[in-house]
Amino acid sequence: MGRTVITITQQLTETEGMLSPFRRTLRRGDQYIFDGLFAAARRHIAAIGQAESLLPFETALLAMLLEQAKEIAVLQQELEQLRTKCE
Amino acid sequence: MNEQTGWLLDVYADPEGGIVLWLLTKADQRLRLHMKFPATFYAAGEFGLLRQAWIYLKDKDVKLERATRRDLFLGEREVMAITLPHPSLLPILFADLSRQFPSLDYYDADIPLSLRFIAQTGAHLLGKCRVFLDDGTIQAIQPLDSHWEVEPAPISLRILTLSPDVNPAIHRPAFLHVQYNQKKYKLSLEPTRAFLISLKADLQRFDPDLILTDYGDTWLFPQLETWAKECGIEFNPNRDESKEVLKRRADSYFAYGQVVYRGAQAHLFGRWHIDRKNAMSWGEYGLEGAMEQARVTGLGVQEMARKSPGAGITAMQMLTALRNGIMVPVQKQQVEGTKTLIELIRADHGGLIYQPLIGVHGPVAQIDFSSMYPAIMVKHNISPETVGRVAEGVPTPVGQEDAPEGLIPKTLRPLVEKRLALKNLLLELDPRDCRAEVLKARAAALKWLLVVCFGYLGYKNARFGKIESHEAVTAVSRELMLQAKEVAEDLGFTVLHMYVDCLFVQQEGYERPADFTPLMEAIVTKTGIPIALEGVFKWVAFLSSKQDKRVPVPNQYFGAFLDGTLKVRGIELRRRDTTTWVRKIQLVVLNILSQANSPEELTDYLPTALAYIESKKRDLRAGRVPLEELIVRQKLSRVLDGYKSPSPAARAALQLQAIGREIAPGQSIEFLFTRDGVHAWELDERLDSRRLDITRYFSLLDRAMQTVLDSFASTDTLPRLL
Repeated sequence: MGRTVITITQQLTETEGMLSPFRRTLRRGDQYIFDGLFAAARRHIAAIGQAESLLPFETALLAMLLEQAKEIAVLQQELEQLRTKCE
Repeated sequence: MNEQTGWLLDVYADPEGGIVLWLLTKADQRLRLHMKFPATFYAAGEFGLLRQAWIYLKDKDVKLERATRRDLFLGEREVMAITLPHPSLLPILFADLSRQFPSLDYYDADIPLSLRFIAQTGAHLLGKCRVFLDDGTIQAIQPLDSHWEVEPAPISLRILTLSPDVNPAIHRPAFLHVQYNQKKYKLSLEPTRAFLISLKADLQRFDPDLILTDYGDTWLFPQLETWAKECGIEFNPNRDESKEVLKRRADSYFAYGQVVYRGAQAHLFGRWHIDRKNAMSWGEYGLEGAMEQARVTGLGVQEMARKSPGAGITAMQMLTALRNGIMVPVQKQQVEGTKTLIELIRADHGGLIYQPLIGVHGPVAQIDFSSMYPAIMVKHNISPETVGRVAEGVPTPVGQEDAPEGLIPKTLRPLVEKRLALKNLLLELDPRDCRAEVLKARAAALKWLLVVCFGYLGYKNARFGKIESHEAVTAVSRELMLQAKEVAEDLGFTVLHMYVDCLFVQQEGYERPADFTPLMEAIVTKTGIPIALEGVFKWVAFLSSKQDKRVPVPNQYFGAFLDGTLKVRGIELRRRDTTTWVRKIQLVVLNILSQANSPEELTDYLPTALAYIESKKRDLRAGRVPLEELIVRQKLSRVLDGYKSPSPAARAALQLQAIGREIAPGQSIEFLFTRDGVHAWELDERLDSRRLDITRYFSLLDRAMQTVLDSFASTDTLPRLL
């Protein structure tokens, strides 16, 4: 199709590349978590694309937050279940 | 005046004037008929230039007229109509005129003759018709069927099959396998003279309508010509002996993101020649498919067997234009309209591709929109001339549904309907019915035309393409997918994945196909586009990226339907560059796993799968794997000089070049991995299996197995509050 606008996948890769000095300076353990943030954003590429934003990385940050919130919700549920079991 | 009824096999320009038609009559005769057939093309532009062109042409054997004709985008246009008495003269005159007057716009100048013929007479290739003759010349033609007929009367073709004993690119063939009906025999190629005489006699005796060959384009027909010259024997494989074999040179071109190599071609007149090794989709739909495409596109069977479906869809658009009084421009005129940055960001999107929830899920239903993009073009009247004209305030302009039906929907509507009718017919048939295979091939051939029609809306060289119409289709498709997702979620389903035109949904307690009927009905009601249940998976695995296990990949999955049938996409098994050895093992492993009735049961089958993999590794180590199964196939993406560090395929190609083989970009190169690099498969010297790089093959296998087995490691979960 010869797209003019670069894809969200490409934009995320470019941003990640731009932040590579930042990532490099992080401790090894933090680097893994940092990569996880981008992995979280990549789970929502379709939604970020649909947002049609001039600055898609803003939406990507929201996607990272969403994944964190989801993880918290899952953990809370598990905690509830364990608590119920203990009681 | 007498008349004949039969099927139209071939149409081409007669160098003596007019056109030649070959009719296969009901009495099994093959008639060469002649018909007068003037051909017209048009020139338009600035008045002064047109006048000069008129002066240039007035003393030539042409009829010149001033006319008003319709341009799809510009509307009615004053044009100079140039009519030639013989269509064979048109390409020469047009080339001359366009050289003299390059700034004029030209129309209808490069339309294949068969399309002109179909538009003018209503008869079509492979169609049944009645011709009225006077002194051997056709005075009138009456079509007796339509190319949209779902079950046309079968044509009884005489087929002669010729194939050499070995691939001539690798070894020198010793004989030809010949087959005609039930008769099979070998013809020795030596001595050449005797071979030629025998083959010539066979051609005269059988008088085939179709010569089906292996390597006919690239080896047999060029060789026959050389041998005939050397032996001083007249040998013309055409049924029309006034013509010579039409030869086209080999070429490499860039399409759909890859370099494609197309071998030389040899076309016949009065009968067809198809080289199975040089026919684009022979493996997928064979002769029946090529004939179906010829029937609906109006291009000859020999053309359609070798050309991409894109050429077919272009021909269909030309035919629609001709039938509706629209001129066909020689060059594309529509460029992309101006857009603001935000408009561009909104418009320049493809289909909706979700990131699936990683892991194994089940039971899961896959629901597909049937021919989604063509259906959207037809339903929403999306065509280059209907899109974007009045779309004020609409971010991505879509087709105007109240406008007259556009050229593209008009072209596609009968195609979509015919494919649906064929598929419905197939559903009613017992799978063992002998008609099933033919119907499947025809449906597949039509599917490919529908698949490419969308791409051609945005293709830079398409005559009737315009990027905005291309964008409109994807914009509507994304909206429909979101509507489908919302409908599914409203009914309590979890949408595991969405990929352009299909959804994977799951809900506890929904296990049988009938459980999903209410959902499907709701989606059809909401979107207005037909959908079909591809099937219900007992389990399906969505994979993660090999680089980061936390990132899902949208186009790689595999699973087993309720009846145990596997569906596999994007993994090694489906890739052309995977060795047969790895592919077979991956398939067996998946078949072992397909016995599991749920994701939970999968682990029960793992020990059997792992034992099988180990046994296959032992076979390789012991030299028990045929070398053929270890061949790696890779395409050359560039000329050999263009590699900075040659890929394994390029290194194998260099070995072949060293023994005098000609290598072109796009060609597929076969090789084996050896301890010292690669060994090109086509080298005369056979590789000693002890030189194989076993470690490399093990790592290829391990990688393929990792794809399957890693998917069971973890599965994404969603919080229950959803």
